[in-house]
Amino acid sequence: MDNDRKLINVTIDGIEVSVPEGKTILEAAERLGIVIPRYCYHPALSAPAQCRMCLVEVEGAPKPLPSCVQQVQDGMVVSTDCAEARKARRGVIEFLLLNHPLDCPICDAAGQCMLQDYAHETGQLRRRAVEPTVVLGRDHVTSEIVYFADRCILCTRCVRFMEEIAEEPVLQVIQRGHKGYIDTMTDELFEHPFSMNIVDVCPVGALVNEDFLFKARSWDLDQTASICPGCSQGCNVLLGTKEQRVVRLKPRPNPEVNSHWMCDYGRREVVRWGAGIRAEVPMVRESDRLVAIDWSRALDALVEALSEASGGAKAIVSPGASNESLFTLRSLMERVGFEGGYFHVTTGSEQVLKGFPKLALREDRAANARGAELLGFERVDYVYGALLGHRGVVFVLEEALDGAPEDFGEGVELFIYIGSHLSPAAGKADIVLPCPIWAEMEGTFTNFEDRVQRFNQALRPPGLARPIWLSFSVALARLGAGEPFTSVAAAFGALAEELGVYSGLSYERIGLNGATTAAAGSAAAARR
Amino acid sequence: MAIGVKTVERPEVGASYLRATLKGMALTFKHLVRPITVSQQYPEEKYELSPRMRGTHRMAVHEDGRAKCVACGLCPTICPANCIKLIPAEDENGERYAAVYEIDEFRCIFCGYCQEVCPVEAIHLGVHYEAAEYSRERFVYDLERLCAQDHPYTQLWDPEDPASQ
Amino acid sequence: MEPLSTTAFLVSAAVKVLVIFTVWLLVVAGVTLAERKVAAWIQDRSGPNRVGPWGVLQPIADGIKNFVKEEHIPGGASRILFHLAPVMAMFPAFVVFAVIPVAAPLPTPWGLVEVIIADLPIGFLFVLALASLGVYGLTLGGWASNSKYSFLGGVRASAQMISYEVALGLSLVPIFMLAGNVTLPEMVRQQQNSLWYILPLMVGFLFFSVSYFAETNRMPFDMVEAESELVYGFHTEYSAMKFAMFMMAEYANLVTASALMATFFFGGWDIPFWTGDNISVAADGAVVGAVPAWWITLLTAASFAAKTGFFIFVFMWVRWTVPRFRYDQVMSLGWKVLIPMSVVYVAILGAAMLALDAAGIEFGVRYALSLTAINVVLMAGIVFWLDRRRIILGAAWRQVRPQQARSRG
Repeated sequence: MDNDRKLINVTIDGIEVSVPEGKTILEAAERLGIVIPRYCYHPALSAPAQCRMCLVEVEGAPKPLPSCVQQVQDGMVVSTDCAEARKARRGVIEFLLLNHPLDCPICDAAGQCMLQDYAHETGQLRRRAVEPTVVLGRDHVTSEIVYFADRCILCTRCVRFMEEIAEEPVLQVIQRGHKGYIDTMTDELFEHPFSMNIVDVCPVGALVNEDFLFKARSWDLDQTASICPGCSQGCNVLLGTKEQRVVRLKPRPNPEVNSHWMCDYGRREVVRWGAGIRAEVPMVRESDRLVAIDWSRALDALVEALSEASGGAKAIVSPGASNESLFTLRSLMERVGFEGGYFHVTTGSEQVLKGFPKLALREDRAANARGAELLGFERVDYVYGALLGHRGVVFVLEEALDGAPEDFGEGVELFIYIGSHLSPAAGKADIVLPCPIWAEMEGTFTNFEDRVQRFNQALRPPGLARPIWLSFSVALARLGAGEPFTSVAAAFGALAEELGVYSGLSYERIGLNGATTAAAGSAAAARR
Repeated sequence: MAIGVKTVERPEVGASYLRATLKGMALTFKHLVRPITVSQQYPEEKYELSPRMRGTHRMAVHEDGRAKCVACGLCPTICPANCIKLIPAEDENGERYAAVYEIDEFRCIFCGYCQEVCPVEAIHLGVHYEAAEYSRERFVYDLERLCAQDHPYTQLWDPEDPASQ
Repeated sequence: MEPLSTTAFLVSAAVKVLVIFTVWLLVVAGVTLAERKVAAWIQDRSGPNRVGPWGVLQPIADGIKNFVKEEHIPGGASRILFHLAPVMAMFPAFVVFAVIPVAAPLPTPWGLVEVIIADLPIGFLFVLALASLGVYGLTLGGWASNSKYSFLGGVRASAQMISYEVALGLSLVPIFMLAGNVTLPEMVRQQQNSLWYILPLMVGFLFFSVSYFAETNRMPFDMVEAESELVYGFHTEYSAMKFAMFMMAEYANLVTASALMATFFFGGWDIPFWTGDNISVAADGAVVGAVPAWWITLLTAASFAAKTGFFIFVFMWVRWTVPRFRYDQVMSLGWKVLIPMSVVYVAILGAAMLALDAAGIEFGVRYALSLTAINVVLMAGIVFWLDRRRIILGAAWRQVRPQQARSRG
């Protein structure tokens, strides 16, 4: 696409660069690593050139030009950091600070605020005006988003998001000049499944998520590149964690999956994962009760029980388990005879982001349903039905077993429960192994369109919880199936080797942006 | 030779012990009869502290007794000893305030960064050093206690000479 | 006056023991306070001033504290010796005082009572013997504590005591020669009739005082305690009353040493320039010289107390002035300086006395003045000639010596 266009040469800050025709100066500068200050410009939104922050000097132009809309022309000589451009920027910041309350200490955006950053960069830390500031107060725009009108710099990013991406133009700038503020057309709050993206696009602290309000300072958060496990879309996210808790999710730009956006459902739901009573130590049944023991003896018990088992194995798995976990589980089950694995996916209504239809809140509210399918697990509506009458070995992987029949797990030869939480049904298990939730381990998910994406570990697992691929690969090694895996990359490598669909993929190749399987890739190419 | 090392030439000729001892005893006798005493009767007489002395903390309060702290989180961020615990929350007016604010005076190194960084001049070091307690726990000052302190605030800068020249 | 009957003798002895030791114990307690006060004043401080007016009740507070404190016996300690050591340290220090005459004889309805607990014919041989016994307490205490610091302190104590005992004994030989007797009352009488021995035996006094400083382990000879290197040496592991007993022994020794100095060299209870107190009792009980009276006894007791007090002060004064010797300095001062010099001094003095006897000068003031002259010369020699890097060898001595040799060569 870029390659089809004609390349033209421009000089920015004394460096020559070739860019395709039609690019703006701002985008061209970004290729050189020069970041021109901006407020209203957002890479996924249209550029109204109204904040005037990105003014640059262009040789021959009578006055500074807004670089976010000015397209490059052949032989253009641009200066982004000359005295004139700086003066223009200083003026913009000064105007913004006329009415901006300098309440950074209590503002949620402090530390991630563009106004704060640029004001510090230019050294304008105080307002010079002596007139009192206009105080406009605050209001809810949705039930979860608070709007601080005083902090707003009227960049209209939120307005344009609702208009262009959500295609539901509910927000508007009301009034003009220093009285201007953002509000819905009616007095009512609006609801939209992707509404929280307006908090992300807000360059200052005007729009804040009430759920996150006052919880943590942005510099306190540890950021981890991850994948949202809320649905089978697999949005790329940044996990903000503080003191062993996931505090927030922010979309991580990936043009192939979610662009700059993600849905409210993911943000809301996923933060709560990991709460509740966690399984922290391996347990093994001794006569009528489960006894906590260490991993080496738990694995001894597992290996011994499996090598003595006569019947085949069936499993109930969670569609939220990672590919590596499912793969090692399947390999382990094959040692005693794989007779079938089942999973149930919770579903909900699909919500498509109209302006970016690739992204939707998918019906399958599980991250790895597709991955489980590819590994030979069957999607069924009633998992317990599939296990009726089974007398061999039963594995349950990360499944809460809600609604399990009362006699579930009785009368089977061996019942092994692997889970992050302890559910009442786990009380009948012969062996209970604790495992981490998704934020506490790394691995891969395969999304609805066969795209394999990696997520990284953000939290420390509680107690002795260990990734399943690790503990099971040790058990497999004891049962005589090669060496245990020493890393997720090795586990995924073995998976790719064994399973045709993933051939050609490696953990390194997936990288931070994910990679599609060969089949899906060719299908997409065919569509194109 | 390192800086500050003074080399004493030892006397080689004419050094004496007896006479030197007598000289020394004359000196100590002079001190003995001299009425000067440098002792201070501590609990009654107290040392005059510099207004810049950095002692235990104190929180500034509004007229209605609320702490001035807005729970911005800068002091726990800058604290090199990691002795400040702060949990912000929202009060009934929707304002940010410190639901929990604790300073572990044992951990504190009294660097004064918290006072320097505070945007609302709420947390201060105090010109105060008598902090004896009967238990270790009592050295973790909570917000109520910090607000109740009444010793003078430390002046981190000499008003006459702010650049410390 | 008639000699005392046996009953009166026994009663008077008991009364003397009670009175003298009560007073003496009070003095010892007071000295602990005095030490702290003197130290404070020398260092421009106030000293203890919280207990009672000017802190005078401090010794009582210390005593109560020491009584109620927990006694601690270190693990692996030799328990019997550990308990015995403080007693062994304290006992000789207390008993030595028995032979020191405190005042002029006191006339009573039952006869003339000498104010001395036991006028032993072996006099100060008894002093020497018991002073050396004190070291057992220190050495055994150090050994029994099962602590390396204490042990080093104990070892140092024994080595130091043995070294300085020789010098101490030798420094007293001139007194025997001059007095011709070893009982202490006799010495006091001799000094009343001629001059105080400080003048004719000035150099002897120097040797005696240095040796006795070493015997009592006072600064600058407190190698045994050496808080900066041995953490108080032999009594590191002692606490409560046993610690207090060691301290009492130390201060009792201090008082005894002062009393001995006053008796040997400063005329004991003699009041100078006054013959009214020149009372002596002949072997048959006849009183020679002035007539005894109760007020003379009191005055002489005061005189004795003043002299003793002065020496106690000197001990403290020296302690808070002079720094501690190095251990090799202590040893070389004892063996290489004090002992040879004492021997030479005895020889010189013996020769002088023979010469004076040959010249036919009667024992008395003139005789003493002649010896004084000799002593002044010797003293000047010591202070101005001998005391040039010869008595105490400094740390730089070994480096300096080759240079001097070269410059001479």
